[in-house]
Amino acid sequence: MLTYSLKRLVQLFFTTLGVVTLVFFTMRMIPGDPISAMAGDNLSGAALDRLREQMGLNESILMQYLRYLGGLAVLDFGNTVTTKLPIVQLILDALPITVAIAIGTIVLTVLIAIPLGTLAAYLAHKGHRMLDNVVTGFAMVLDLMPSFWTSLVCLLIFSLALGWFPASGTVSIDDPVGLLRRIALPVLVLSMAQVATLARITRTSVLEVLSEDYVRTARSMGWSELRVLFRHALKNAALPIVTVIGLSFGNLLNGTVIVEFIFTLPGIGNLLVGGINSRDYQMVQTLILFYALIFVVINFATDLVYRIFDPRVQF
Amino acid sequence: MTHETLALPVRSLPRLNWPSFQGANRLLTNGHVRAALAILVPILLLTIFRPLLPLPGPLETNLRGMMQPPSFEHPFGTDRMGRDLMSRTLAGVQISIFVGFAVAMVALCVGLIMGTLAGFFGGIVDRVMMAITDIFLAFPSLLLAIGLVSVMGTGMLPVVLAISLSDVPRFIRLQRSLVLSLRTRAYIDAARTVKASQFWLMTRHIVPNTIAPLLVATSIAAANAILVEAGLSFLGLGIMPPAPSLGNLIRDGQSYLEQAWWISTLPGIVILLIAIGLHFLSDGIRQVLDPRSRK
Repeated sequence: MLTYSLKRLVQLFFTTLGVVTLVFFTMRMIPGDPISAMAGDNLSGAALDRLREQMGLNESILMQYLRYLGGLAVLDFGNTVTTKLPIVQLILDALPITVAIAIGTIVLTVLIAIPLGTLAAYLAHKGHRMLDNVVTGFAMVLDLMPSFWTSLVCLLIFSLALGWFPASGTVSIDDPVGLLRRIALPVLVLSMAQVATLARITRTSVLEVLSEDYVRTARSMGWSELRVLFRHALKNAALPIVTVIGLSFGNLLNGTVIVEFIFTLPGIGNLLVGGINSRDYQMVQTLILFYALIFVVINFATDLVYRIFDPRVQF
Repeated sequence: MTHETLALPVRSLPRLNWPSFQGANRLLTNGHVRAALAILVPILLLTIFRPLLPLPGPLETNLRGMMQPPSFEHPFGTDRMGRDLMSRTLAGVQISIFVGFAVAMVALCVGLIMGTLAGFFGGIVDRVMMAITDIFLAFPSLLLAIGLVSVMGTGMLPVVLAISLSDVPRFIRLQRSLVLSLRTRAYIDAARTVKASQFWLMTRHIVPNTIAPLLVATSIAAANAILVEAGLSFLGLGIMPPAPSLGNLIRDGQSYLEQAWWISTLPGIVILLIAIGLHFLSDGIRQVLDPRSRK
């Protein structure tokens, strides 16, 4: 186990290095250089040169790359070009909102998807093909609805027509109730997309377990159907479910960018879209990198959890 | 033993044919494929014959008919500049279909070639290729596309390239794993023993057997590409107005949700229908081409 973890950790390090390198050189492929792209026609030649000097763009590309790596090692991502604020600070300010949305989504998704998937598996097991088809078909439609469209439809229904949730307004983590009211709809929207995947995998793995001998044994011992289903079947089907929660984290990150944009929530997704629109390449580069790192680390953790809890997995 | 005597067993080996007319017939009688066609064919026909429909052009403005709700004359209503939304939606579908098709083809072709080489030859080729795909797979797909578009600029070609780049690694991985599982089969060993060349093994014995799962993945990739393009255009990073794409149509309606609900909602339903159709298609292909699910 330890050697496996270490091996994966080394691999993780090289993947991360590859990611950093890819992001760095891709951003340097912008025609001209970031400075002229950012400044447009507003600055004179001398001012541009000064800016280049400041950002170290006159050095060779290799020196810039090494300097960039050195900066990353001490978590120095540089300053934004437009407002001159340190990027780390902006990310740290925006992060809690995104984390709140992500955690909310995972909790809601689990609460809906696992009972739904277990129900579908039970129905399929009992031979109710029709009901099972309805549940799985419903899950597919939820999965394929584009989240930006679902967001607008939810805004239309719950904010504009029913007035249950505010569509805009300030958000702060110091005001938990206000925050909850603002992130309720985004969380609902993202959960709708996530529920489908998780419900489907729950259905498959519970269905597989339901025909196992130990489930039959539990039934023959006279346990109630509910107890058999949740105590015996679901518990043994849990591992693939946990894995899928980890693996669908990438989709969740994609989704947070969209909902933050629509619901004007000041999370890191909004920071990213703002960065692209103001052509702040330093910011975009850092944020894309940041998302990739979160994703890589979550995948690593999922893999380890899977291997720790499944005694059948060989090392 | 001479080569002449060896030639016999080669010919008598079971021949693996590429998907044939018989397969096409089986596809057309499959329930899922029929459902997919029932959704996709009308949309496709409407898109192709849009110029013949009694609708104003997608870019034609009419300032006396702004933001009109759906009616017989304008089935999807009109937008803030009086442009007919059904006409614009169908023009958007045209872009979506093109993006979906282009991305699926790029991902399929590149994935097929690179994945086959990696899986078949293994060794250093495989390890380098896996390390590279690892790096690309470290980015959530939409975020990779956003990053690439922010570098390459907006428009059709950057969008197609950006989405393809996040799909290609997935296809390489898929094809590689398919090839790896086929490479040790007995019939491959049999072909080797009669000195079949590497190229022959790959093109006649391995690749034809990977086509079915690849087609399933291709149809899903097309649906996914259409959704990602719409997402990018919605964020203002994909196809730029005034060219209509389903994503920027929905974006246009965002500010008028209260006054004109139809601007954003109707194009979204069309995206959803296309995605559902393509998923049915992939389910159907899977059922028909997977021998285990055949009755």
